[in-house]
Amino acid sequence: MSEKLDYASAEDEALVKAAQKGDMQAFEELVARHRDKIYARAFSMMRNEDEALDLSQEAWVKAWQRLQQFQGEASFVTWLTRIVINLCLDQLRKQKRMRAESIDQLDEELGGVERQMPVVTPNPTERLERSELRGRIDEALAKLTYEHRTVLVLHEFEELEYKEIAKRMECSIGTVMSRLFYARRRMAALMAGWKREEVP
Amino acid sequence: MIDQETTLKLQAYLDGELPAPDAERMADLLEHDSGAQALLGELRAIKAALNGNETEHKVPESREFYWSKIAREIERQEPATLLPQAGRTVWWLRLLVPAGAVALLALAFTVVLWPPSGRSWVALADGHEIETPEEETSSFTFRSEREGMTVVWVDTHRN
Repeated sequence: MSEKLDYASAEDEALVKAAQKGDMQAFEELVARHRDKIYARAFSMMRNEDEALDLSQEAWVKAWQRLQQFQGEASFVTWLTRIVINLCLDQLRKQKRMRAESIDQLDEELGGVERQMPVVTPNPTERLERSELRGRIDEALAKLTYEHRTVLVLHEFEELEYKEIAKRMECSIGTVMSRLFYARRRMAALMAGWKREEVP
Repeated sequence: MIDQETTLKLQAYLDGELPAPDAERMADLLEHDSGAQALLGELRAIKAALNGNETEHKVPESREFYWSKIAREIERQEPATLLPQAGRTVWWLRLLVPAGAVALLALAFTVVLWPPSGRSWVALADGHEIETPEEETSSFTFRSEREGMTVVWVDTHRN
């Protein structure tokens, strides 16, 4: 007779194994543990609460359906994060098809304006408290186009290499490099602007 | 001012994605190019600021409510995954209609090609039979093997 699993104190690996055998309670515990992280990743890409909620929940449903495919090469939460990223990218692609690209976006794609921008300051974020810095990074991210924000999120937060980002975003490595460069320069400009505002 | 290709190489240098020979050339450039140094400083500062400073957005719903939607969707989709199995059990039902049509056609052909004979016999107990010829519905024949006797009734009032 198998030993009863103490869900609250069990390791992720044990919960995953139980869930792979059909234990929904184990899966619910995994959802409770990691739901904020998965939601946050969806939100950072979509910048919309409702969409982030829907996509994060869809990611959990897909995870349940594909649980047998999870072999433990990466951590469960890393595996799940990849699922939600792919769902967000699909959704963003659908949205992109529905809207016309602006002239600004085309200019960025061609690699124009960002190279003419002067270097704003060696460190636009110094002297900011951590919580304040986080808030401002979040606000600056919200001002980027989704292509630039996504490439920045995947590179800086998910620590993916150029090649992997290109594969996921279905574009060339050159486009990834160009978008990342623009996104960083734009972030620097936005953060420097805020910094100047707070100086008396 | 550094060109487009160099700016992207500078960034790849920062991200550790530049091949060794290019990385050496970039290091040389950075030693004497103040513009490249300033740009690298800005890119590095942003990279450092982002590192570990992602805002922690939390699910704006209770644990139970968030889970209930996931659980409902899993339950809703579970039967769909069983559909192929259900399909295997009812395949013969789908064949029933065409098979029935073929059987009816075969029966119709049989009747057309080999029509029943004009006479039919009804066997009775004790070796007696009654013949009712279809083309002559006005006559009936009674035959008894045991008695060695045959009687034919002809209805003269019909027609």
